[in-house]
Amino acid sequence: MASEVFVLGLSWQKTPVSVREKISFTDDELREKLTELCQMTIAELMVISTCNRVEIYGVTTNTSESLVNATSFLRQHLSEMKHISIEELSQYLYEKHGRDAVEHIFSVSSALDSLVLGETQILGQIKSAYGLANNETTIGPLLGRCMEHSFKTAKRVRTETDVSRGAANISSVAVELANKVFGSLAGRNVLIVGAGKMSALAARHLRASGCGVITVLNRSEGKAVALANEVDGIAKPWSELEDQLLSSDVVICSTGSKEPILKVKSLKRAMKKRRHKPLTLIDIAVPRDVEAKAADLDGVYLFDVDDLQNVVAENIKERHRSSKDALLIVKEETQSYIDWLGEKKVVPTIRALRNYFHQVAKNEAILAQKKLVSAQGTEEQNAIVDNLTERLVNKLLHPAMKALKDQKKENVEELIQAADKLFDLENKSESIDTETKDIEAQNIEGNPMVIHTLRKKST
Amino acid sequence: MTLPTLMTSLIDGLNVAPKLVSTAPSAAFYVAVFAYGIATIFYASAYIQCPDWMKKSAKWILVAAFVCHGIDIGLRGVEGVHPGTSVRESIGFLSWVVVGGFLIFLRGQAMAMVGALVAPATMAMLIAARLSPTGGPVTGLSSLGRIHIALATGGVAIFALATAVSIAYLVHEKNLKNKKFDGVLFKQGAALETMDQISAKLVLVGFPLFTVAMVLGVLWVTRRGVFTLKIEHVLSLIIWMLFGYLIGTRKIHGTRGRRAAWLTISGFLFSMMVVAVYFIRRVWG
Repeated sequence: MASEVFVLGLSWQKTPVSVREKISFTDDELREKLTELCQMTIAELMVISTCNRVEIYGVTTNTSESLVNATSFLRQHLSEMKHISIEELSQYLYEKHGRDAVEHIFSVSSALDSLVLGETQILGQIKSAYGLANNETTIGPLLGRCMEHSFKTAKRVRTETDVSRGAANISSVAVELANKVFGSLAGRNVLIVGAGKMSALAARHLRASGCGVITVLNRSEGKAVALANEVDGIAKPWSELEDQLLSSDVVICSTGSKEPILKVKSLKRAMKKRRHKPLTLIDIAVPRDVEAKAADLDGVYLFDVDDLQNVVAENIKERHRSSKDALLIVKEETQSYIDWLGEKKVVPTIRALRNYFHQVAKNEAILAQKKLVSAQGTEEQNAIVDNLTERLVNKLLHPAMKALKDQKKENVEELIQAADKLFDLENKSESIDTETKDIEAQNIEGNPMVIHTLRKKST
Repeated sequence: MTLPTLMTSLIDGLNVAPKLVSTAPSAAFYVAVFAYGIATIFYASAYIQCPDWMKKSAKWILVAAFVCHGIDIGLRGVEGVHPGTSVRESIGFLSWVVVGGFLIFLRGQAMAMVGALVAPATMAMLIAARLSPTGGPVTGLSSLGRIHIALATGGVAIFALATAVSIAYLVHEKNLKNKKFDGVLFKQGAALETMDQISAKLVLVGFPLFTVAMVLGVLWVTRRGVFTLKIEHVLSLIIWMLFGYLIGTRKIHGTRGRRAAWLTISGFLFSMMVVAVYFIRRVWG
C-alpha cells in the first residue's frame, strides 16, 4: 500500500454556519495542534480554516489500512477538540482520497468550490495555511508538491479562463464601473457621502484600488472622521457637499435620507463649474440619494443599487459559463500530479532493486576473484567464470522464482505476465540469440572466456 | 530589387513629372485586401462569441495587411505612380496612413472596436483607389503641390483615426448610460475617458498638419494662376474651422465626451466630402 493524498472536511455546501464556526481553527490553535494531528498513519498534514470551509489535507504513510486509520483518528480528534459528537460531525464531513482528493484540492485553490465562484481570497488563505504547516514541518514532499501544483493550477485557471473576471460584490462593482469611465482610479478623487457599513466597504475597496484623495461627508461628523481615519481620507462638514462635487471624480452615496440629497439642479450647476469633467455617481442608498434624472446629464454616469446588483449577477453568470474550461484545466493538472506521483512511487523500488543487484554482483565478484588468484590454467579459470555467472543468475532470480512457484493458482497468470513484461522475455530471447551468433561470427580474438560463457549460455 | 535601388527609384518617381496615372494592382494589393478582410473579422470577433486566439491575432493580421499595402504603394512608386499623382493614389495612401496611425498611436489600448472600423474602411478605400476608373494626372503638380497633398493626406488620416475612436466612444458611452451590462460592449473596450483623451490628442496632431497643408494648398493654387473659389476650398475651410473650434472649446470651455466626439465626426465627414469631390471630378471629369 503506497502513501495516498486524502481530504477530510466540511464546507458551506452542506454545513450550516453554526457548525462551521464550531469546527473552525484559529492560526494559534493550528500552530499548537498540527503536530499533534500529524501522527499515527498520517505522514503529512495541513488544515484550511476559512469562514466557508474547514478541510484537512493529508498524506498517509505507506502501510495498509493507513487511510482508514488516518481518517478515523482525525474524526475522533476533531470531535474531542471541538466538543461535537462524532455522529453529528459525520453528517457533514466528506472524505476524498487519491485522484478525487487531488482534484478537490485543485478545485478549492482555483475557487471553483467557493461560495462566490472565482473569488480570489481562497488562494491567499490556502497559501497562508500551507505556510503555517510548513513552519510546523508537517508538510512533506508529496503534500508540498501537491500544494505547489494547486497554486499553479489556480494561476492557470485565473489567467486562461474568465472564472475570476468581473467584480462579484457590490463594492467591487462600484470600482469596476468607475474604471469603465476613467480607465484607472489612480489619482482620482472620491467623495463618500454617508458613513454607514456600505460606505465603509466601498471606501475600503476604493482605497485598495489606489484612488487619490478620499473625502468623507456625514451628517454626524464623528462617524465621518472615524471612516476617514480608517481609509486614510479626510472628513469634511456636511455643508460642503456641493463644493466637494467640484473636485471629485467618483461619488459614493449611502445615507439614510428619505429625500434625494443630490438633485439634478445642483448637479447641473456642479457639472458646469467642473467644465463637464466626467462624474461617476454610485448610489447604494435605499431610498436613493440621487435624483434618477441626473443620469441624463452629459458627463454624469449614475448607477444605483439595482444596477450594481445586475452587474454582479452578470459577472457571476459569466464566471459560471467559464467554469467548464476551468474544470478541464483542473483535470489536466490533476492528471499531471498523479503521473508525477506514479513516477515517484517506483523510484524507491528501482533504487532497492539496483542496490540489491549490485550487492549480489559485488559479493560474487569478490569470491570469484579470490578463486581466480589460485587458479591454474585456462580451463580452471573458465570454470570459475562459468560458476560465477551461474551463481549470479541463480541468486538474482531466486526471489522471483520462489514467488512464482509459491503463488496460488489464480495469481500465477498475473505473475507470469508481470515477469514477461518486466524482462521483455519474448523479444529478449530472440535478441540474445542474435547477439551470441554475432559474437561467434565475428570470431572475436578478445577474451576467450566471454565467448565460452556466451556459448554455454546459448545452449 | 535592393533597398537602395528601390529608394532611388521612389525618389526619382517623386521628382519626375508623372506620366502614368495607373498601373495594374500588384499581388501585394490582393494579399493586403484579403488580410484587411480577415483582420476585420478577427477584430469583430471580440464582440461575438469567438475563440480567444482570433481576438489576439487580429493585430498581427492587420500588421501583415499594412506591410503588404506598403509594398503595393512602393511598387507603384517605382513605376512612377506615387501618392501625389492622382486622387486615386492619395486615397490608397491615406488609408495606409490611417492603419499605420492606428497601429502606432493606439497600440496597447483595448480598441478592438476601432480596429473593426479601421480595417474594413481601409479595405474599401484601397479597393476604391486601385479598381476605380483611371483619371487624368494632377496638372501642374509642383513640389509644393506634392507636400500639400502629403500633409493633407496625413492630416485627414489622423482625423479618420480620431473619428473611429470617437465612434467607439459614442457606442460605449450609450451602452454605459443605458446600463447594458450583459453585452460584450460592457466587457470589452477602453474606458470612456481614455478614448476621449486619445481622440483629443489625435486631433491635436492632425490639425497642424491640415493647417500647413491648407496654407501650402493656397500658395500652390495661387502660383498656378488665377484663384477661383471651388466647393472643396469652402469645405476645407469648414473642416479647419470645425477642428479649430473643437480644440479651442476643449481648452476654453472644457468641451469633451459626447459633444467633442460629434464635432470630430462632423469634421471628418466634411473631409470625406472633399475627397469625394476630388474623386468624382478626377474620375468622371
